[in-house]
Formats: sequence, C-alpha cells, structure tokens
Amino acid sequence: MQSVDKDSDGMGGPRNGAVQPIIAADSICKDFGPLAVLRGISLQAANHDVISIIGSSGSGKSTFLRCLNLLEMPTSGSLRICGEDIDLHQTPQGMVAGDRKQVRRIRSSLGMVFQGFNLWSHMNVLENVMAAPVHVQGKSKAEAREKAEHYLQRVGLYEKRDAYPAFMSGGQQQRAAIARALAMEPAAVLFDEPTSALDPELVGEVLKVIRGLAEEGRTMIVVTHEMAFARDVSSQVLFLHQGEVEESGPPAQLFREPRSERLKAFLTRAAV
Amino acid sequence: MYAFEVVFDHLPLFLTGLRNTLLLLVLSAIFSFVLAVPLALVVTRRVPVATPIIETVSYVFRGTPLIVQVYLLYYGLAQFAFIRASVLWPWLREAWTCLLIAFTFGTCAYLIQILRGAIEAVPHGEVEAARAVGMTPFQTLRIVVLPNAFRRALPNFENELIFLLHATAIASLVTVIDLVGAGRNFNTIYYFTYEGFAIAGLLYLAIVGILRLSFALLEKRLLVHLRRAGI
Repeated sequence: MQSVDKDSDGMGGPRNGAVQPIIAADSICKDFGPLAVLRGISLQAANHDVISIIGSSGSGKSTFLRCLNLLEMPTSGSLRICGEDIDLHQTPQGMVAGDRKQVRRIRSSLGMVFQGFNLWSHMNVLENVMAAPVHVQGKSKAEAREKAEHYLQRVGLYEKRDAYPAFMSGGQQQRAAIARALAMEPAAVLFDEPTSALDPELVGEVLKVIRGLAEEGRTMIVVTHEMAFARDVSSQVLFLHQGEVEESGPPAQLFREPRSERLKAFLTRAAV
Repeated sequence: MYAFEVVFDHLPLFLTGLRNTLLLLVLSAIFSFVLAVPLALVVTRRVPVATPIIETVSYVFRGTPLIVQVYLLYYGLAQFAFIRASVLWPWLREAWTCLLIAFTFGTCAYLIQILRGAIEAVPHGEVEAARAVGMTPFQTLRIVVLPNAFRRALPNFENELIFLLHATAIASLVTVIDLVGAGRNFNTIYYFTYEGFAIAGLLYLAIVGILRLSFALLEKRLLVHLRRAGI
C-alpha cells in the first residue's frame, strides 16, 4: 500500500529528509552495579523505519530496547520520543524521570512485544487487547472492542478471542501480544526477541505477522536472533557488541560486506 | 430416647446462635480482608519500618492461641486504669468488640501471608507488560496484580474462612450466644447434651456446605483461565 522506499537496499533508510524521528536515543549508557551493560548507544528511528538490533547474548540489545520505553532507566543519555524530550535528570542514584505522566504517555505510544509474551493470564485474548485502550487511553469499551477485533483479525486470532492464554500455543500467545501492542495504535512497536521463546515450528507464524507489519510501513525496533528476518525486513541493522554499536548500516551492506571482525565472526556463527 | 423435638421448641435460641455465629464470621472476614490487602502490599514491597512491624504483629497473632488473645482483650484490658478511663472503654468492655478485634487481627495475620504469597507469584512479566502499556502503579495493581493474586488465593481464602468459622466458637466463652453457646445453654436447661451440640454441629456443617458451594461457583467463574494451565 504505502510506498516506502526502504526496500531499495537501505538507500532510503533512516533520515528521509528532515522528518522528525519517532525515536531518537542519544548516548544511552546503562550500568548494573559495576557492570557497564550499555556504553553509549545512539539510534534514530524515523517513520516507517524497521531497525533490527542483533548481537550475541549479553551484548546489551534487550537492555537497550528496554531503555527506550524506560522499563529500564538508563544511567545516562537522552531520549526524544515522538518529538518530546523525555525529562530525565541525574541524581546521585542515577537518572530518574521527572514527569511520570510523560513516561506513561511515551510508553503507550511505543507498543512493546516481549520474548515471553507476558499476556495477562486471568484475561482472555479480547480482554488483553482491550485493557490498555480502555484503561490507559480512556477509549469507550465499544470503540476498544472494535479496534481489538480488528487487530485480532489482523494477526489471525479473531476466532480465539475468548480463549485464555494458557489454552493457546506460544505462537498464538505472541500474536495476541502483538495485537495488544497494536491496539494502542502506537507510533512505533518495540519487539524484544519476539520469537526466541517459541518452538521452531511456531516461529514462522509470528515472523509472518511481523513482516506484514513492516510491509505496512510500521515503525519498529526489533531485537532478534532471526538473521534472515533482519536481512529481509530491516531498513537498518545495528550490531551490538559488549554494549556498543560495533557496526550499523543497511542490511545489504551489513550482511554482505561486514567490516568488523566481530560481526564477521558473529554472522558465521549465526550461519546466515 | 433422643429429644430433638425439644430442640424445635427452642428454635429461637438456636437461631440467635446461628445469627451471632454468622455475624462474627461475616464481619471478621470483611474487616480482616479489607485490612489484609493493603498490609500485604506493604509487606511485598518490603517498606522499611512498616514491613517489619506488620510481620512482627502478624507473628504475634499467629503465634498465640486465639483464645488467649480473646481472654487478654476481654478480661485483661480491664486491669489497666488508663484503658478503663479511655473514651474507647464503652466499646472495649463489650465482648463483641473484643471478639471482633481478635478474630479480625487473627484472620488478617494469616490473610497477609496468603496474599503476600499470591501477589509474589504473579509473573513479573505481566507486571512489566502493564507498565509497558502505560498503566499507573495503581492501575497495575487493580487491573493486573490483584485480580491475578485473588484468583490464585481463592482456595486458601476458603480454608481460612472455614478456620475462622470454627474459631468463632470461642465467642461462647465470653458471654456471646453463638451456635456453641446455644447448644450449651440447651444442655444446661435439659441435660440433653447430644441433641444440643449435634444441632450446633449440623448448623456448622451447613454453613461450611454453603461456603464450599459458593467457592465452587466462584472458582468455576474465576479460574477458567487455569483449568488447563500450560501447553
């Protein structure tokens, strides 16, 4: 539908003109005690960008993603989401958010999909998808229901709308979690290893949905181990190593002509 | 041989007993639950000062027999002149007040532990998902944590209510005519020991039966999401 020129091997990538980026993270650092997990990572995601973050476990990619919606509070750095500078200030205990309302606002404008699905187990699928629009965005039940049913249809779970998470396969749960994230009509969706907890035969159905979203032109940041997915779908790929961006660029370049030895070694191990 | 027809002549006595037992059960259950939820939240958050205080008080109430607590409140408080002089004395000297305090705190102490466990068992990921969609901490509690924890704790609530019901028999030791009190009064008048206490016992059974039924219905409604947990 939309003509997004991100398929042209990264030529159009990020920075399409002077458009306001949806997510702009600058020099994000995160320490866990003495351990520096992130050492200054920056990222810009413009509208329609699909940015994949790859790297071996422990490279900090999930932590970085969680810093973007402040599920994890960075130790230092700055964030600009949907044109809003996030009010973060330094205290002796690290950074704190000055405006909790703002934090909640940016969280609801960045949908998040977790590795472990994290559906609310006492609610059925429809209730899971309707909860945030009703309680956080103040939508009427009728409107939220309509929206929820639309997105459940979109991920192919409309027939499962009355089922409880425990009765569903991992792939179905993850698709429900994607519908839950979409129901808030977020400006961007953050995926935290969305297929890592799935049985191999269920990975496909989830990736298909995520690919579809990318083709729709949704802005997404995807932490993933699925190299084929990162290569085919992303407009930009970030390779993290020990809390730093070791290499980044359009996927064609990154996967075909990796410059850094670490990325070469990583790609060999990942057997692309 | 058995004089159950005499029992029927004294139906009002047993009805009073039934009413008082139910009142003690329902009031203590409501008070202790209302008290236990916020206290359990404080305990799970490990709030400095408050959590150790709650845990210590809870330990004292769980660590002493309920009957000792009732005696200390009902007979013991009168020893202190300042309590007799306080504005609360007109209430504190009533057996009902002492019973409600003891039952409420005693049950509350157990409920805190039950709720604490249930709240801590709510998967962290579900809490995180609530934060990630922008819920406030209070919404996270109201929409995600407590409904999940209450469902988890349902079977324990039922046990706790049954324990509380049986504990209310202590009321008969401090002048209140509950079901046991009715049975004993009946026995005092006629020496029909068996009949009086058998009726009391049957009525307790009936109450437990109703509780069981209510919880079975609740579980059927609220625990559908667990009926086949995991895949």
